[in-house]
Amino acid sequence: MNANKLKVAIIGSGNIGTDLLIKTLRSTFLECALFIGRNLGSPGMTKAGSLGVRTSDLGIEAILRDPGCWDLVFDATSARDHRYHWSLLENLKKIVIDMTPARVGEMCIPAINLDTCRQSKNVNMVTCGGQASIPLAHLIGKVHEEVEYIEVVSSIASRSAGPATRISIDEYVETTEEGIKLFSGCARSKAILILNPAQPCINMQTTVFAKVKDPDVDKLRSLIGETVKRIQIYVPGYQLLVPPTLENNRIVIMVKVEGLGDYLPRYAGNLDIINCAAIAIAEQYAKEHLTQLHAETRLK
Amino acid sequence: MKEARVDRVLEDCRQVLGDAVDALGGLRGESVLITGGTGFIGSWLAELVTFLNDHHDFRTRLMLLSSRAHLLIDKAPHLATRKDITLIARDVRSAIEIPSEVGWIIHAAGNPDNRLHASDPAGTIDVIVSGTTSILEASSRLPNLKKFLNISSGLVNGPQPFDLDSIQESWYGGIDCSSVSSAYAEAKRIGETLCAAYRSQYRLPIVNARPFAFIGPYQSLDRPWAINNFIRDGLLGGPIRILGDGETVRSYMYPSDMALWLLRILLHGKVGLTYNVGSPQGVTLRQLAEKIASYFPTNPRIILGLALDRGVRRSKFVPDVNLPQKELGLDLKVNLEEAIRRTILWNKEQSKKRGVYQTIVNDASTNEE
Amino acid sequence: MPNILISDPTLRDGNHAVRHQLNKSQIAGYAKAADAAGIPIVEVGHGNGLGASSLQVGEGLLDDRTILKVARENLTHSKLGLHVMPGFATINKDIKAAIEIGVDVFRVASHCTEADITQRHIGYIREKGREVYGVLMMSHMASKEILAEEAMKMESYGAEGIVIMDSAGAYLPGDVTERIAHLVSALTIPIGFHAHNNLGMAIANSIAAARAGTSILDGTARGFGAGAGNTQLEVLVAVLEKMGFSTGIDLYKILDAAEVAEKELMKTIPSIKSISVVSGLAGVFSGFAKHVERIAGEYGVDPRDVFFELGRRKVVAGQEDLIIEVAMELAASGKRRS
Repeated sequence: MNANKLKVAIIGSGNIGTDLLIKTLRSTFLECALFIGRNLGSPGMTKAGSLGVRTSDLGIEAILRDPGCWDLVFDATSARDHRYHWSLLENLKKIVIDMTPARVGEMCIPAINLDTCRQSKNVNMVTCGGQASIPLAHLIGKVHEEVEYIEVVSSIASRSAGPATRISIDEYVETTEEGIKLFSGCARSKAILILNPAQPCINMQTTVFAKVKDPDVDKLRSLIGETVKRIQIYVPGYQLLVPPTLENNRIVIMVKVEGLGDYLPRYAGNLDIINCAAIAIAEQYAKEHLTQLHAETRLK
Repeated sequence: MKEARVDRVLEDCRQVLGDAVDALGGLRGESVLITGGTGFIGSWLAELVTFLNDHHDFRTRLMLLSSRAHLLIDKAPHLATRKDITLIARDVRSAIEIPSEVGWIIHAAGNPDNRLHASDPAGTIDVIVSGTTSILEASSRLPNLKKFLNISSGLVNGPQPFDLDSIQESWYGGIDCSSVSSAYAEAKRIGETLCAAYRSQYRLPIVNARPFAFIGPYQSLDRPWAINNFIRDGLLGGPIRILGDGETVRSYMYPSDMALWLLRILLHGKVGLTYNVGSPQGVTLRQLAEKIASYFPTNPRIILGLALDRGVRRSKFVPDVNLPQKELGLDLKVNLEEAIRRTILWNKEQSKKRGVYQTIVNDASTNEE
Repeated sequence: MPNILISDPTLRDGNHAVRHQLNKSQIAGYAKAADAAGIPIVEVGHGNGLGASSLQVGEGLLDDRTILKVARENLTHSKLGLHVMPGFATINKDIKAAIEIGVDVFRVASHCTEADITQRHIGYIREKGREVYGVLMMSHMASKEILAEEAMKMESYGAEGIVIMDSAGAYLPGDVTERIAHLVSALTIPIGFHAHNNLGMAIANSIAAARAGTSILDGTARGFGAGAGNTQLEVLVAVLEKMGFSTGIDLYKILDAAEVAEKELMKTIPSIKSISVVSGLAGVFSGFAKHVERIAGEYGVDPRDVFFELGRRKVVAGQEDLIIEVAMELAASGKRRS
């Protein structure tokens, strides 16, 4: 175990958990102490094993039994399971990053509130559509005094949406809408999710519409580049497709997210963006944790 | 209100056991593992065994394996906290070490919810096939395994021809293996073949049961099966809607009978044999709807489906149970009318507890259960 | 005489034709007339269904609750129906309220290859004891075998019938016969068909469906609907009856209802414009038409080019935002309107 890295555990050996594992292994600030699922035979567990990562099929029990081996845990299971896990983890006072729509903790959009949400012990990564759109919604909210309504439409490849996504579309919609309102200050919000089965698979595409009083498209255009750059620091595949435009009395901004292709192919940008965001906040914790450690070592 | 449910089930256990307690004597002091232990079958087996422990001093130890074991607290809190029940929170597919004192195994893991089979056919197959392989492997290393009961399904041999009154264990039809809607049936079928392979190659004492259809407590009414729909429609005030012309034939066994039959098959079933478990009393959906309607004071009307003039497809799903009846002396203690009456009562009590209709849909089942 | 159940989305699909601006008196007026004619199901709402009023597909004049309440008040014999797409509407925000208002028939729709997103919604509606059908949209984009598989998923969730939509008006009668026959044989529940008239085939396609075993057909008064419009209902009923099918609808009264619709609901009677021929050939959702025309105009490109490009990209219903991207790209590549 490297003393210069933050030790993380990952619960949930599905696509999200496995992709997080690969990103963790690549990070200079994080290392994976434990990769946990329920089925040692699953593809994610097999992958972890092949990468030399310690695995367990005991579920939440595994990290409860060995709290010393980890400082931060990514929960990539399901909303229902996360609520159960949080009831067991809350007292441990460690950091939990919630990849599900459970929304028990504070919502985190790294481009916006990386600094403030690191005070929380439970941080929620909202949704993929939320990560793609909320920075833009936030910008609209900053530029305009009165934002009446913001709407986000995300189209993703059918193949990038597994059974877990499909059974929780309502949660996706409602969580994204909460996030939009929270970070933009708008009065009303709406989120729409479209699955498109076209082959070759489409990349994730997200459009933000807004109804505002006195839209200032020029100001948006002057600031959008900086917003996009801030996101690209942790999501390299994030790209502006249509710059802020006024069409039919609505502000329109369109972005595309191409994934890194770490685990699922590149078209699964939806998976990538939420994971990149999660890694960003985990690395932020890691940097502080290490600064603290070094400070303590110097005092000795 | 908890007591009301426990009372209903307790009464059912008392009635079904009647004078059959001695026949189950082989379980006294034994350790039994049930995979899928917190599901419908597992819960009823647990109720019956704990009844034997409480009232007949059986001292049987139960281990319930399930990937969602902690949900038993909500479903049956009186079971979850018992000392004679150990919950093992594991996925059956994962490499398992079965405690060496286990002498009896009932492998019931696998979700019969056909909505799940439609939405996640790959997961459905994996749980059943990998899960069965995994538990058979682990069983082959047990020092004192006396019997392994595989819970298969009456669906394994394909759709029952309408001109056949009931299907025997030895009958087989065909399933279209290239169709995704065959996922569950095909997986259960290979499960049986896996059991035959392990029985032959590793000399494991395996017996096979094919459950058909059941209605009773612990079965959620949101399952999209005809009888569940009818009861739910009745509880909502009707009308009771039959999709089709009502001539499709089904049969339903009450779960206390099911649990007793399974324990007797476990104890006395012949190794290598398959036993159907279900009611041989076929009833048309129209008759079923009428019976159910008669239990509601409002006597809701019954509406048949559309397209009746297009030659509606009818189906049948009724087991021939001569084998368990003759060979094991089993019979059904609860007839259909009684099964319906008790189920309606139980659900009424449930909805009083949870407030009108608990939306179980929000806790949609997945293959992780 | 075989029965055909008619479902009439004049006040829903028709809303596409007027950018979702149907008002209370229009809804009340037509609903009354449809009810009097004995139309079994009257479907109302925003063109894209419950919860769809949005900047993406167009904001409605009225909110869903108002539309449903007005219709509910004016229907006594006819059932009140609605169209709902998961991804646009949710159980908590939209479906619960619709049930309370008294909607009788819910048609839960997904793109033709994505039926599994309807599992919870169909289940919830069934649990509440309402009638629910599954709907497969843009059905020309999948083979008949895939359609049958997707339909069977919806059947397993509790749908009581499956309606196949020709949302782009792309089918020819032979396509319909083949698909409907396959579905009728593969499923145990009734099959329905919803046609659009982009290639002038709506009536012919509906008849082919009826002959192939469909038990439910959609049609709208004067064909009022998205793009080139739907199957013209009063014509459909007349033809079906002439062929020996029984619809239970009174001929004079449905002709009257069509007159009401013509007078009160529409500025122009639907006809097949060039853009509709193109969208039908391109296999793009009929509801895109007004958006494409507007945006193509703004960017100075040919709307027909936009449609063909959208078709090439295989866009599905609800992806209207892509129109801007496509128009921009065409403009940038110099493909201006000649």
